[in-house]
Amino acid sequence: MTVATDNLIERSSVIISVFSTTPGIGKTIVAINLATGLAHEGYKVCLCDLDLQFGDVLNYLKLDSKNTVAAAQRDFLDHPDDFHISNFLTDYTQGNVTFSILPAPLYVFDAYLIDVQVVTTFINKLNHFDYVILDLNSMFSALNLAMLDLSTVINYVGVIDFLPALKNYKVGYDTLIRFEYEESKIRLVENRADSQKLIESRDVERLLGESFYHRLPNDYPSVNKSINTGQPLMFAAPDSKLTKSFDDLVGLYTNRPKSMLQPEEQKTSSGGGFFSKVKNFFGF
Amino acid sequence: MAYRVIVIEDDPNMLEDILTVLRRSPDFDVAATYKQAHAAINPAAMFQPNLFFMNVDNEEVLNMVPDFVARFPKAYILGTMSQWNPLVAQKVMEGGGTGCILKPFSAKDILEHLQLYSARGQRKPAKLISFFSPKGRAGRTTLAAILAFLIAEKTGERVALIDADLQFGDLPIFFDLDPKRTVVDATQDIKLLTPVTLDPYFYPIKGGVSLLSSPDRPEYAELVAPDSLTEVVMMAENVFRYVLVDLPAGFNPLSLNICRISTFVLVTTMINSGFEIKHAKKAMDMFAQQDDGKRKVHAVFTRVNPFTEENRQKIAEQLGYPVDDMIPNEYKMISVANSGRLAQGLPKDSLLVQTISGMADKIINAKE
Repeated sequence: MTVATDNLIERSSVIISVFSTTPGIGKTIVAINLATGLAHEGYKVCLCDLDLQFGDVLNYLKLDSKNTVAAAQRDFLDHPDDFHISNFLTDYTQGNVTFSILPAPLYVFDAYLIDVQVVTTFINKLNHFDYVILDLNSMFSALNLAMLDLSTVINYVGVIDFLPALKNYKVGYDTLIRFEYEESKIRLVENRADSQKLIESRDVERLLGESFYHRLPNDYPSVNKSINTGQPLMFAAPDSKLTKSFDDLVGLYTNRPKSMLQPEEQKTSSGGGFFSKVKNFFGF
Repeated sequence: MAYRVIVIEDDPNMLEDILTVLRRSPDFDVAATYKQAHAAINPAAMFQPNLFFMNVDNEEVLNMVPDFVARFPKAYILGTMSQWNPLVAQKVMEGGGTGCILKPFSAKDILEHLQLYSARGQRKPAKLISFFSPKGRAGRTTLAAILAFLIAEKTGERVALIDADLQFGDLPIFFDLDPKRTVVDATQDIKLLTPVTLDPYFYPIKGGVSLLSSPDRPEYAELVAPDSLTEVVMMAENVFRYVLVDLPAGFNPLSLNICRISTFVLVTTMINSGFEIKHAKKAMDMFAQQDDGKRKVHAVFTRVNPFTEENRQKIAEQLGYPVDDMIPNEYKMISVANSGRLAQGLPKDSLLVQTISGMADKIINAKE
């Protein structure tokens, strides 16, 4: 029996985590352009940079801010009753598009001190946003597992140009399934899909036993323009095939039936067993 | 011919046990026994011994290892200890000793240890080289593998590759291996292991290079306690003259522990978006803060394009540290690594391998 608790009402935002098991394959670009696309469609969006040690969201958007997860955690621990997460968000605005950002800590040492429970609390406090996008790093860390637990969907990104990367994509997918994330929640997204490569996408799909939810084409010039100008693709390369492809992906994420959101299930699945075990290992 | 043996042991019961073992074996001929090292050093010369057992649990004996090495340069000098103590074992090697053996031991144990320590290479402490990258995808693993082969080839000494990138280690796939034992087994068993029994956990790849593989499931990473891995690495230093450790990306208790005991830390970066230099700077700053003069931290950039001194200067300016090594791009490498043939197919004539060969020389020739 489902009981309509406060919690059920509170958790109205869709949480999309952008995850991969190989670093440097475009997670941050995917996260930024998802946030931009969703904001462009009129949704309230917050992008959280949870690659705590080496997050790049501010770098990509050429923004500067001292308001980070680390600053928020300090304030939260000092004044838990008078804490407002909105004080620690930085807005990105371009044309008619605005979204909020919770930046990663500026220093590695601060990153080390971030507490998984506190971050979970922060994500919960972002419930007035329609979409919360989480840019994670490429590990099964305590933090990432807690965030994957909270997520409505896991946007699992892979670039299949290199055998070790393919191995890690497969191993990562199998691990997500073993950790009992529902297959419907995991969205396989191939990045740089049409680049010249030795491994065919359809072989990858056969290997995984699952088809790609979406394919983002390889478009180095547009990505380069985006990085150089510090603008999302929509503004840096409005007519590019990659921009169009991101628009399609955003469409997929906005047209989902509401039954995909299962807030009460998210509640029970957070704080799972594996999470606490690896916490000891990773120490943060 | 049997070894002419000198035993230095102050515990009479232990001495009796050792003598019983030695006398039963045709391989050993006990020349003399002493309770203390300083009493042994002069008279021992009368017997022209070529094998010493020195009780290094006793600090005075441990401190005299270098004197025995100087006096008997051709003899094997085995430190005996009742419990494996990595720091004592290290000190024996620093003193030029052959290595250490756990008491009690059998005649077979002795021969196995002597064989292992002879194959290891020069009687000097191991060089521990750890490969660190801030975010990963830096060419770290490829660099480690190529360096391992080149060092082994140049020195003829044994080289270990330890895949400590526990969740997503790529070394087994580079060599197309599926080893039965992994770093997880080694760390779980370490309390019971000796250098001789640790050796089989390493899979021989080629030409003196052996691999301690990462586990095949990411969740097994949680089974590896950072302290146990440190013990495995330190014991591997007794088996191999060079120990290369491929670390997981970023700062975590495991990577910090290994870097702390390393001779060289190679902070490896590949420039893609351009922000990687910022990450490398953060990492170099962290290492600078923790510097105690015990290790060399090198900034290494892979797939540098253009491969020019001018570019090196440009990167160094942004980094705020000198670029110690830069490695050019080599497309051939990708297909070599992709086919699991790294052990067979190093493109020797390429600028990439020549550059890494220069790095190998620097590591080999670096002062102990």
